[in-house]
Amino acid sequence: MSLRTLKIISILVTVIAAVVIWQGSTFRQYGDQSGYQPIQPINFSHKIHAGDNKINCLYCHSAADKSRVAGIPTAESCMNCHNQVKPDSPEILKVVKAIKDDKPIEWVKVNDVPDHVVFNHSRHVNAGINCNSCHGDVETMEKVSQFSTFSMGSCVSCHRSHREVILDSSGRPQISAEKTKKRLMASTDCAVCHH
Amino acid sequence: MNGSKLWKQFMEADENGYPVVAGSPIKGVSRRAFLAALGYTAAGMTLISCRVPEQKIIPNLKQPPEQTPGVSNWYASTCGGCSAGCGTLVKVRDGRPIKLEGNPIHPVSQGGLCSVAHSLVFGLYDSERLRNPLINGEQAKWQDIDRQIIGKLGSSTQSGGRIRFLSNTIISPTSRRVIDKFLSKFEGGRHIVYEPISTSAIRIAHSRSHGRNVTPAFHFDKARLVVSFDADFLGTWISPVQFTRDYTKLRDLRNGQQEMSRHIQFESRMSLTGANADKRFKISSAEQAGALLLLLNILSKKGDQSEMANSTALQSPDLSPQMAKQIEECAGELLRRKGESLVVCGSNDPDTQQIINAVNQTLSNYGSTIDIDSPSRQDGANDKDFAELVGEMNNGEVDALFMLGVNPAYDYHQSQAFAEGLKKVPLKVSFSSQMDETASLADIICPDHHSLESWNDAEAQTGTFSFHQPTIAPLFGTRAYQESLMRWTGDDRSYYDLLRSDWESTLFEKQTKYKKFDDFWDRSLHDGVYVEERTGQVGSAEFKTEGLSAAADRIRSKVNGGFSLELYQKPSIRDGKFASSPWLQELPDPISKTSWDNYACVSPQTAAKLNLAEGQIVKLGKETKTLELPVMIQPGQSDNSVAVALGYGRTKAGKAGTGVGANAFPLVEFADGSFRYQTTNLSITSTPDKVEFAKTQITDSAYERPLIEMYTLADYISGIHDNEHKDPEKLFDEHDYPEHKWGMAVDLSSCTGCNACVLSCQAENNIPVVGKDEIRSQRDLHWLRIDRYYKEEAGGIRTDFQPIPCMQCDNASCESVCPVLATVHSSEGLNMQVYNRCVGTRYCANNCPYKVRRFNWFEYPHDDPVANLALNPDVTVRSRGVMEKCTFCVQRIEEKKILARNENRPIKDGEIQTACQQSCPADAIVFGDLKDLKSRVSENKKSGRNYALLQDLNLKPAVTYLAKVKNDGGEKHGES
Repeated sequence: MSLRTLKIISILVTVIAAVVIWQGSTFRQYGDQSGYQPIQPINFSHKIHAGDNKINCLYCHSAADKSRVAGIPTAESCMNCHNQVKPDSPEILKVVKAIKDDKPIEWVKVNDVPDHVVFNHSRHVNAGINCNSCHGDVETMEKVSQFSTFSMGSCVSCHRSHREVILDSSGRPQISAEKTKKRLMASTDCAVCHH
Repeated sequence: MNGSKLWKQFMEADENGYPVVAGSPIKGVSRRAFLAALGYTAAGMTLISCRVPEQKIIPNLKQPPEQTPGVSNWYASTCGGCSAGCGTLVKVRDGRPIKLEGNPIHPVSQGGLCSVAHSLVFGLYDSERLRNPLINGEQAKWQDIDRQIIGKLGSSTQSGGRIRFLSNTIISPTSRRVIDKFLSKFEGGRHIVYEPISTSAIRIAHSRSHGRNVTPAFHFDKARLVVSFDADFLGTWISPVQFTRDYTKLRDLRNGQQEMSRHIQFESRMSLTGANADKRFKISSAEQAGALLLLLNILSKKGDQSEMANSTALQSPDLSPQMAKQIEECAGELLRRKGESLVVCGSNDPDTQQIINAVNQTLSNYGSTIDIDSPSRQDGANDKDFAELVGEMNNGEVDALFMLGVNPAYDYHQSQAFAEGLKKVPLKVSFSSQMDETASLADIICPDHHSLESWNDAEAQTGTFSFHQPTIAPLFGTRAYQESLMRWTGDDRSYYDLLRSDWESTLFEKQTKYKKFDDFWDRSLHDGVYVEERTGQVGSAEFKTEGLSAAADRIRSKVNGGFSLELYQKPSIRDGKFASSPWLQELPDPISKTSWDNYACVSPQTAAKLNLAEGQIVKLGKETKTLELPVMIQPGQSDNSVAVALGYGRTKAGKAGTGVGANAFPLVEFADGSFRYQTTNLSITSTPDKVEFAKTQITDSAYERPLIEMYTLADYISGIHDNEHKDPEKLFDEHDYPEHKWGMAVDLSSCTGCNACVLSCQAENNIPVVGKDEIRSQRDLHWLRIDRYYKEEAGGIRTDFQPIPCMQCDNASCESVCPVLATVHSSEGLNMQVYNRCVGTRYCANNCPYKVRRFNWFEYPHDDPVANLALNPDVTVRSRGVMEKCTFCVQRIEEKKILARNENRPIKDGEIQTACQQSCPADAIVFGDLKDLKSRVSENKKSGRNYALLQDLNLKPAVTYLAKVKNDGGEKHGES
């Protein structure tokens, strides 16, 4: 190996080491997709809908309190409002066209977990966990991106928090502020998510 | 450079004499530059591909109101497997059916299902199904089909309209009306019902003895003593799920009852039913006739029908004194149970069945355990009609033949004659959805929907109407055969409309409960079944003794010699219709524990006498017909008989079924108006060839280990079973179960070993099929298996069945050896297997004394997009190198736990049912929470019969067994 090659290699190693030491915490773990912001077929803004117009998450993602999945709204449910609201917008016309052509809209999945993980939305929503805790401030996002890492660590840290689901004065479930010694509401059994 | 000549052929020397490659393939690019470019491209491609794989979510355009994404809906329907008409609940997830379960309120199946029913899901997503109608093998449009057929039918009316509609048993009254209406348009139209394995002799015998051409309803739930001659009513005979449920109801000791029904079986081969009998006698089919005659003779002499005995003057032919004594004892027992006994026979000889009818008549069983007034409709085949049809076809007397659900080119004993005759039929139309042996001979194929895609009704038992409702829109370009028939007679309605209007005009008119038809329809559809209100008793049919002595004479006059041959059905493959399902092919036979094959069963004594080894190929010969099959040495088989399973040797049954086993249908005989599955004068010649069976269990004996605990009924009542099982010393700390502790109790007294649970588990848990070779290497993947043990006893061979799921041990031996913590104990008592952690050391499997762990030796392909629709989305599809095992259906536990928590209530007992438990026709498996002391499983485990398998190992399994109890008929200790 020539001296020149050795020089180049040593400079490279030094630079990489410096970057790792300086910004190590921001390096991603394997499989961490947070920040993923794919291009969607329709330029839909959560900021306008959930933020400015304060539409409840469950209006569109109506399966979230009943099912494993939160559910993506059907084209027809978009048109519930958009028959009246901005019916001529080029983005809405895409929805109209989808219905007319009988071709469902192919949204790109933003939040995903591996196939060996089962996540149930309904249990979390019914336990009083805010959508924001995992999905971030969607109401401020013009274009939705992945907020959490959705790594096993992020799930388990909550499940290990030794907090109980209690009902508040209006009968809605809430996560208690204090830790409890009582039986955990959130299990850390592997089979709860992996089966 | 001095190289050899050969070297010089490839290399040239440069100016310095060094060898260089003769001419670069790419001009102007050096080798070095090319490799560099290749390297950069590879690096670049790798970098580019380091991004999130794009996944699509495609929501509906319009949400069906009843559907929530990710939540399963259940629809009540009817199984379309065989003609038994069991009630099903179909689990539909996101618009696709993924699992069939039993409908508990259905009066026929009462919540049970058999293995064939579970395989229907596989059949629905079979990508080998026909996707379009075909004319002469060419893809066609429905309009062209209709035009052609209507045209040809029109021209056939000139020659008398000799139209034949050939079908299997159709239990749908509305479909029968559609067919009748279609045929009524033609002068010579006839409907012929054909079943390759028919029970037509029962109907012929009843028309002789009672003047009614019906199969009566057999009530095993009222029979305190069942005597069966070769009838495999728990495995394959008429309606096995219904009979199993009824039969086990009277043998269930878990509800505190102190008596159970008794079952005596006389049979030549070892059947599933015989294996469950309290007393089983080996009797060859040749001896059977004599035994029956003797039985009738004794009964009618001793009973109050002495006049019948005299008038028929039935003398019994020669029988071995031993068998005569046994028949005499059996007759004595039957007389003590008059009116609450049931004698059944699997023979398809009308004369034999007539004797059986007389036996049941002398025992006054008609009206109590046998109902001839509201008969079963589960088999309506007429063998004689079919034999005549083949004759007509060969004489060129048939203008058009429509074939539905039949495959005589494979399963008729003279299939060649059928095929020849078919050539002479000008118009041959098949409704088959598979390109099977018969469909490939048809001119026009109009594929019918799969039963999970179609509307229909079913009347399995007179007055019990159930529904088929579509659970998915047709996947392919198929059309309901009823609609096809309607189109050809100018009816443009859909079959659904017709079904509705038919129900309105027939059943709705007769009932009084509902004022509005819509309410009646919706309720019936919701329940999946409608039971007609009974309008008084029909007058009981008179028993006629005429012809009885003639029948007896005919039986007596039969000359027997050589080996007798017994052709039987396996509970999974049946008549071969479902041979294309790999699930059913791989499901081991409950008795021989062999999959992917049929064979010639011979007794160990015969094998020794003829010097045959297991797997040795023999030639079975009967007159001019021969059949080559491997030998299976089958304990319990009668010595001078050979048993061979039908339904194998298909030549056009898709990837899975083609060429599996050998076709034994040519050995079926036709005599006296019915097909015969028992013949005599069989010759056996051995050959030097040998094959290896694909067996899932290779030892037949439990070797005196206490794996199966058994008591006689007398001992059970006297409380002998109540010996405390002492717990061994505690070595480990007990687990803490804060909320639930799941457990299971399997009642070995109820379990018949039918295998329905194994297939239910396979369908639920996405278990792949491994194939014959892998089974031979003991690499089967079934999470649940049923062990079968033989035990030599004084009175013959005893057979025991034991379902073995993962035992979910408290002191699990698997957990302590896993180096990567891929199998750990849950807070609810489960041994969890974490696929994503498993590295495949297989230590756990080696350390499991129950051998319930399964290893994925290969990546089983999931590249068929249609077949993949059958996968359960709640269960991970495992990949290669991963250990797997029964999870107690943890996905079902989680689903119900979440539901209960969301509704803020505790889980109800019985709310969570494992897949095996749900479909068990015998209700042998009980699952539940052991922390709930009032749960059914806790109650079961309190029984003195409760014991753990391999208790001495102190593994504390959560699955325990309730010891088997046999009804010894009152004798204390030691069965004779």
